[in-house]
Amino acid sequence: MTEPSAARAWAVIGLFERPEDLLRAAARLRGSPLGRVQAYTPYPVHHLDEALGLRRSPLGGMVFVMGVLGALTAFAFQYWMSAVDYPIVTGGKSPRSWQAFVPITFEVMVLFATLTAGLGMLFLLNRLPDIFHPMLASRAMEKITRDRFALALESSGGQGVDVDAAKKVILELGAQEVEVLPLPAPAPAAPLNFLLGLGGALVAACVLAGYSTYWVIKLYPELPPMSHMERQPRLNAQSPSGFFKDGRGMRPAPVGSVARGHRPYLIKTPEEAARLVNPLPRTTETMEKGRVLYAVYCRVCHGFLGDGRTTLTSAYGAKPADLRIKRLALAPDGTIYHAIMVGKNAMPSYAYELKEDERWAVIHYLRALQRAQDARESDIP
Amino acid sequence: MAEALLPEGLREPALTDGAITLGELDDRVLSVPETRPPAKWFAAFALTSAISAVGLACIAYTLYTGIGAWGNNSPVFWAFDIINFVFWVGIGHAGTLISAILFLFRKRWRNSIARYAEAMTIFAVICAAIFPLIHVGRPWLAFWLFPYPNQRALWPNFRSPLLWDVFAVNTYFIVSLLFWFLGMVPDIASMRDRAKDPRLKFAYTALSVGWRGSAEHWQHYEKAYLLLAGLATGLVLSVHSVVSFDFAVSVVPGWHMTIFPPYFVTGAIFAGFAMVMMVLIVVRETMDLKHLITMYHLEVMNKVILGTSCLMGYAYMMEGFTAWYSQNQFIHHAFKQYLWGAYGWAGWTVLVCNVLIPQLFWSSRLRRSYPSMIFVAAAVTIGMWFERFVIIVMSLQQDYLPSSWRLYQPTLIDFGILLGSFGIFFSLVLLFARVLPVIATTEVKAILPGYQPAHGGDHDRA
Amino acid sequence: MRIAALGALGAVGAALSYFAAGPARFWVNWIVWMLFLASVGLGALFLVGLEHLFIARWSVPLRRTAERVSGLVVPAGVAAVAALGSLRVLYPWTRPEAAAKAVLAAKSAWLNVPFFCARTLLCAGIWAFSYRFFLGGSLSQDASKDPAMNLRARRFAPVFMSLFAVTVTITAFDWISSLQPEWYSDIFGVYLFAGVFLSGLAGTAAAVLHLSGRGRLPGVRGDHLYNLGALIFAFTVFWSYIAFAQYMLIWYGNLPEEIVWYKSRVEGRWLPVILFLALLRFAVPFAALAARDAKKDGRRLLWVAWLVLFSHWLDLYWLVYPELGIGPRFSWPEFSFALMFVCAGLAWMRRQLTLGEDMPTGDPFLKEGLEFRL
Repeated sequence: MTEPSAARAWAVIGLFERPEDLLRAAARLRGSPLGRVQAYTPYPVHHLDEALGLRRSPLGGMVFVMGVLGALTAFAFQYWMSAVDYPIVTGGKSPRSWQAFVPITFEVMVLFATLTAGLGMLFLLNRLPDIFHPMLASRAMEKITRDRFALALESSGGQGVDVDAAKKVILELGAQEVEVLPLPAPAPAAPLNFLLGLGGALVAACVLAGYSTYWVIKLYPELPPMSHMERQPRLNAQSPSGFFKDGRGMRPAPVGSVARGHRPYLIKTPEEAARLVNPLPRTTETMEKGRVLYAVYCRVCHGFLGDGRTTLTSAYGAKPADLRIKRLALAPDGTIYHAIMVGKNAMPSYAYELKEDERWAVIHYLRALQRAQDARESDIP
Repeated sequence: MAEALLPEGLREPALTDGAITLGELDDRVLSVPETRPPAKWFAAFALTSAISAVGLACIAYTLYTGIGAWGNNSPVFWAFDIINFVFWVGIGHAGTLISAILFLFRKRWRNSIARYAEAMTIFAVICAAIFPLIHVGRPWLAFWLFPYPNQRALWPNFRSPLLWDVFAVNTYFIVSLLFWFLGMVPDIASMRDRAKDPRLKFAYTALSVGWRGSAEHWQHYEKAYLLLAGLATGLVLSVHSVVSFDFAVSVVPGWHMTIFPPYFVTGAIFAGFAMVMMVLIVVRETMDLKHLITMYHLEVMNKVILGTSCLMGYAYMMEGFTAWYSQNQFIHHAFKQYLWGAYGWAGWTVLVCNVLIPQLFWSSRLRRSYPSMIFVAAAVTIGMWFERFVIIVMSLQQDYLPSSWRLYQPTLIDFGILLGSFGIFFSLVLLFARVLPVIATTEVKAILPGYQPAHGGDHDRA
Repeated sequence: MRIAALGALGAVGAALSYFAAGPARFWVNWIVWMLFLASVGLGALFLVGLEHLFIARWSVPLRRTAERVSGLVVPAGVAAVAALGSLRVLYPWTRPEAAAKAVLAAKSAWLNVPFFCARTLLCAGIWAFSYRFFLGGSLSQDASKDPAMNLRARRFAPVFMSLFAVTVTITAFDWISSLQPEWYSDIFGVYLFAGVFLSGLAGTAAAVLHLSGRGRLPGVRGDHLYNLGALIFAFTVFWSYIAFAQYMLIWYGNLPEEIVWYKSRVEGRWLPVILFLALLRFAVPFAALAARDAKKDGRRLLWVAWLVLFSHWLDLYWLVYPELGIGPRFSWPEFSFALMFVCAGLAWMRRQLTLGEDMPTGDPFLKEGLEFRL
């Protein structure tokens, strides 16, 4: 055991073998004028706090207050979010349904309380972390955490402990060994090279991570996971598709199917069709509807006035009919209806574009066009 | 009356085999992390890591293709993902029971197994947390579950039990971690003072936050431990109750049961004890800890398993009785499905594994034999997994709308993730066994015979 | 003597109420008080069984008191047999029109008068037997000092626990839940158990403090009271947990056949009652016993114990009384019943407190129990 030359020390530590000895010694040393009495044990020894006359831990009160605070915080936040800031009814429950807020209130209460108990104990009450505490530099520490019970007289206020007096007292109390921690208080050695290396490695890792993140984002600006849902095989309107044998994306209606709003058209010849009668009354609404539909579907070939003056160029090839000619003006409505349904010469069928009453409306309008351009003198009022 | 005069059934059993001194305890427990693990350990770790890799690969596949890779269908929207979540969270509860509830009851036999059980809690919660995370489909958006101010001016739905779960499980994980770490601080301080390598010593010093074991430290520490135990007890009740609310607040027949909260908590402790049991047997045999984890410890745990099994039996009985007593045709139908439906075998497995097989433990001989312990523990683990299967899949597959009834079939990916979660769990357990002190040495030191000052001394007047 | 006089006064008032206020009101009060006596006795009996099951040693000095309090199951059993007269008055499933309701007709295999009576007799018999078993063994040990009794009690304890669980559940379903026979809640047995154990603990604590105040329990210290207080604290939380879980699940599900039970118990004039119950049964005991020293403080524990007993009565009142459909009332019939049953209970306890020694002197663990330190 090395004796420090100074008569005063940071601490004088005595080691005991049995907890009973420590308790007895602690009770006797309590209130010693030589220095602050501190005991160190490998595990909590019952009644040591009484022997040393420690104040009771205030942790219970701290935890209680923080628990209440946690509960209030959680409840207030839930209430404010669900009933004030964005009130919404879910599950048929009122926005102010306090019952549903209870579980989270409880959890947050426990969270606040436990964090206070655990971290408050370590950091506030025990004033840890303190990894350079002088005691950690003592040789006694290795025995304390193993199987020895230590009683120390520690310097309070920096003026140190009288070594000789303290040693005498502690030995009298039955300590098997005594260790003196000199002034100025020693600190446990830190492996500097190791720490520097560790710090360097950390910096290098950060730099590396930063650079790789930068380049990954630069090279792959978008990495959408589960993108196969967007890129799955699918049909686009008006586009070819390799999926079907005929190479068409849009599918023709199956044979014999009837579209909504349409009736099967069983008439084969214009003669049969001549018997059909226009079922629509000749009202202003019908005329207006016919005008619009004529403009959409017929005008492009048959012209504004039904005169066959097409807006198509000659590249189209066919010459659309002049609807004003006598033959057509005298033709029954059914014949024209048949032409719309099955087409005529180069004109395709408009059966799918126009519904039944729309066809008849167009025919009404067509009659008006024909009549308007075949005016007689008697028409003048 | 002297202990020796009592009939054998009443004697207070020794908590350690033979006399052990404080130093010997350290040498036995804390020397483990200081030595190189044996080849057997590496073999076991390689195996569990390989199993974890299978699970992680299946998870990666799920993330890449989406959860269509699983067997979930309509109306069985919840299946392996939620079953495994409930299963693993439940496993964790045994650790909290041992470390917190038995601490409050001053059951001193808990001290030598508490550390292990706490570690298993944390690992089990890690395994459990995987499942809701991948269950949401797009885990990178899981932060939406937390109420943070956002540009959409939206808040999560606090009336949803699923959100309660987020808070409960997160709190549970944080608190368990804190409890575990605090318990380990003095032990790491012991390892610090044993370490010879200055780098290691410094690392342990930092990890033990400079713990010195002064009387004041211990005083606050004990108070904190008591408070944490009390709070953790409430928490452990609440966590599995909240998990049960996920089901019970709905009106799905078979889910809407008022007994669910305590019944889930009991089942969780039951399953957790079985898991702790199996791991403990392996630890005890391979790590030379027979003197510290004695046959008495195992026997008491078996009694707890027996007791919780009886409580499970009570819960099943009440559910069955209420299914009849309610005269509600939907509940009626659901319960007939449980035993005589397409998955009826699962219902019977649950009854046999959870209620019948643990009754073997009425015999003290079977409570003390390894084969029967392992048999019962394995049966309970299987039974409790199937219990969640019964509750979740069988209640969902036949809902109120018969036209949507559909059977459920898990895929290989489902099984792969389940297997992988076991791999992750046991990898972490193995790692823990070699890296940190597996027995709370300071807590065991405090209960070793002769190491607490006897009562009635001159200091004991208060 | 005063107790007898007051009790007689109460009995006269109760008898009058049968004619003046109607048989329904008479029987409702009777059932509330019968269940109250049974709860205190059963809770104490459970405490005794628990001690044997866990071989608990700290509680040995208090065990005789718990055994004596558990004797309340005897008058409670008598009251239960008498209460069978209420079946035709209070219980809708006994009425002829119940057969017309499909749900009730289907339940008649369980809810029928002979089976109900058999169940009641069986439960009362099991309780009386368990009480005799634990108390008788313990009393004979006073003289014989034979530790074999502990072993016998320990073997019986798990059996008793199973029987206890079943009988308390049957009591809850039969006497309380079937007042509204369409309603069901499978936690209800556990709900009643929480109240039973809590009131048993409170009854034991009150008796222990009564005796130790008279110096009859030398050696019972703050450490023992701490454990009793901690159990009361823990089960206060447990009761609140079960009560809230049942309420919340039914509130959330909002199914008509379930919610109707709470509709008649948490709305209108019953709302103040349930709030008061939450305050008395959860908030006040929780706050009073939260601190460590509070649990060791005999004076505080005493008033908390009486508060817990009162709140258990209030709980039973809240469970049973709404079936009358007249809202919460506390008038002279209720007061007479309170007087009658409280006096009967106290008189019975006075007799019980003379049984055997004040502590189980023959128990081999008594010394260890007295030396118990936290």
